[in-house]
Amino acid sequence: MNILETKNLHKVYDETSVPVYAVNGIDLTIKKGEFTAIVGPSGSGKTTLLNMIGGLDRPTKGEIIVNNVKLNDLSSRKLTDFRLKNIGFVFQAYNLIPVLTAKENVEFIMQLQKRPKKERDKRTISLLEAVGLGDRVNSRPAKMSGGQQQRVAVTRAIASKPQFVLADEPTANLDSKSTENLLEIMEELNRKEQITFIFSTHDQRVVKKARRVITVDDGKIVKDETRDPEKD
Amino acid sequence: MIWSIAWRNIWRNKIRSTIVLVAITIGLFAGVFSTGFYKGMADMRVESGIKTEVSHIQIHKPDFMLNNEISLYFDSSNQIVSRINEMESVIASSRRIEAECFFKTAHGTRGVRIVGVEPDREKKVTDIFEQMVEGDYLAGDHRIPRILVGKTLGEKLKLKIGSKIPVDMVDMNGNFSSKLYKIGGFFETTNKGFDERTVFVRFDQLQQQLNLPDNAAHEIAIYLQNDANIDIVQGKLQEKFPQLDVKNWRQIGKELALVTDSMDQYMYIFVIIILLALCFGIINTMLMVVLERTKELGMLMAVGMHRAKVFLMIILESIFLSLSGGILGIIIGYGVIKYFEDTPIVLDIFKGFEHYGYSSKVYTNLPPEMALNIAGLVFIIGIISALYPAWKAIRLDPADAIRTD
Ligand SMILES: Nc1ncnc2c1ncn2[C@@H]1O[C@H](COP(=O)(O)OP(=O)(O)OP(=O)(O)O)[C@@H](O)[C@H]1O
Ligand SMILES: [Mg+2]
Repeated sequence: MNILETKNLHKVYDETSVPVYAVNGIDLTIKKGEFTAIVGPSGSGKTTLLNMIGGLDRPTKGEIIVNNVKLNDLSSRKLTDFRLKNIGFVFQAYNLIPVLTAKENVEFIMQLQKRPKKERDKRTISLLEAVGLGDRVNSRPAKMSGGQQQRVAVTRAIASKPQFVLADEPTANLDSKSTENLLEIMEELNRKEQITFIFSTHDQRVVKKARRVITVDDGKIVKDETRDPEKD
Repeated sequence: MIWSIAWRNIWRNKIRSTIVLVAITIGLFAGVFSTGFYKGMADMRVESGIKTEVSHIQIHKPDFMLNNEISLYFDSSNQIVSRINEMESVIASSRRIEAECFFKTAHGTRGVRIVGVEPDREKKVTDIFEQMVEGDYLAGDHRIPRILVGKTLGEKLKLKIGSKIPVDMVDMNGNFSSKLYKIGGFFETTNKGFDERTVFVRFDQLQQQLNLPDNAAHEIAIYLQNDANIDIVQGKLQEKFPQLDVKNWRQIGKELALVTDSMDQYMYIFVIIILLALCFGIINTMLMVVLERTKELGMLMAVGMHRAKVFLMIILESIFLSLSGGILGIIIGYGVIKYFEDTPIVLDIFKGFEHYGYSSKVYTNLPPEMALNIAGLVFIIGIISALYPAWKAIRLDPADAIRTD
């Protein structure tokens, strides 16, 4: 089942004198349960692509269809709602609200979704335990390591039961041990809960874990390979 | 949860928030305290105006107030007083005769207002008898009738207790009348102007000098248990004595009424000016907040927080900041005012105001509802100050905001 489809997707930044063709005709389909990496050199258009898929940015040309909804047609208000209900985000940094504890950060989105308190509490605690943060439930981000913070961010992203999770270079600020740890957690959530992950990365160790690797350059897909990561 | 986020956000930059908070606290303390101070001053002016000069209600023949024409007297004044004294809420009433007279002394001639009072009744209506600084209140019968003069007038005309002075006026029949009085005492009220313009003699003496009929009076002053039901009593009196003109102290002492009516407005204007000044500090702080948190705000909008919520969150933070400082300032100000409610603040620089009836001893006063209204103003200023910063925040494009470094 396709949960995401883009058709002839373009993004041109033309505020400057020379227009930048950040995304230049991308056709892409993602199926439920994928664990997909988007790779490519700096400036190749990874972030721009992810932002458009996630409904954060609007394409200059082309279509984005998520779960049978055409994002192009949505108003800014509807788009916000759409993101809240369908997409989990993990950014490179500044993922968490500094004044909230780990638990509150995870709960926050479920609260915006107006989930009942009981459900929120239960799910938050069990998820934080699952990512190995059972003892950091009441810690604020400043008291946690970068790796722990990213684990909280992943937990928050999946807590809301999204269609898929978009992670733009989630490990860029992490050391290798934390990177490995975060990837393991993402893989496990992908396997056990059938959560679809789409992440961009520069890191070859991260690329190795992906089951599908899409390489972009100059705003175009230049390679799209599906493989069994276990064989590597 | 955005309430708790907004509150906790204030304390992210402790030093900056504390500075703003202290500024608001000081500003509001100043505003509240001065309000209480001037309100206390105004209240005392009104209270002494009622107690010493006008009392609560006065009754005259219609038009008497316009030109003080001595022929505008009314009869049966004694019976009227008895009927008034039977009424509920009335403590006492007293008859008066009033005229313009000339006061001739070796040191000059003065035109003053002479008031004939019934000492025993008058004591229950006004407190001039308590304001004697020298001599006695109009007590007893004397061969030469006594006259009471204000201390300032006495000093200006170099009068002494026992000095004899002729008082000239035109009587009921249009004839010139001169009568000798002896200074019986000097009074000093908080209103120097009043002291300089007014002299007192006994009712019967002035009646005689003016050639007024027995039982005639120009004025009946009425003192009530309190000011609260003055309108009801006034209405009843007017019903009882339809041919007479019943007026309350607000209508009589226009300047007294002005003091109470305008004081509140002035104080609110004063507080609003303070708040506007503080407003710029809050705007500045909130703009810095939005600027510092660009990435975070972008993230919040990206993960699905609606712009309206982001807007509200910024507004709430500003309200919390303003209100915590504001309420602290109001509480401290109110506490200080409460303390000086019973212990007067004595200020020599206010001596000059005594001429206008203001005491240099000030008992502060602030009605609780005024403090609440000021808190309400702080709340509104908190909102207003955050409007522009919050608008800036929601104008952020989440994708751009997250990219910024
Ligand atoms: N808001 C913008 N205005 C103008 N140009 C932009 C904007 N955002 C991105 N670009 C340009 O679009 C191109 C693609 O940028 P993008 O951030 O998508 O690349 P990327 O693959 O994510 O790079 P990196 O690996 O460094 O994160 C770049 O040339 C970039 O300079
Ligand atoms: Mg990027």
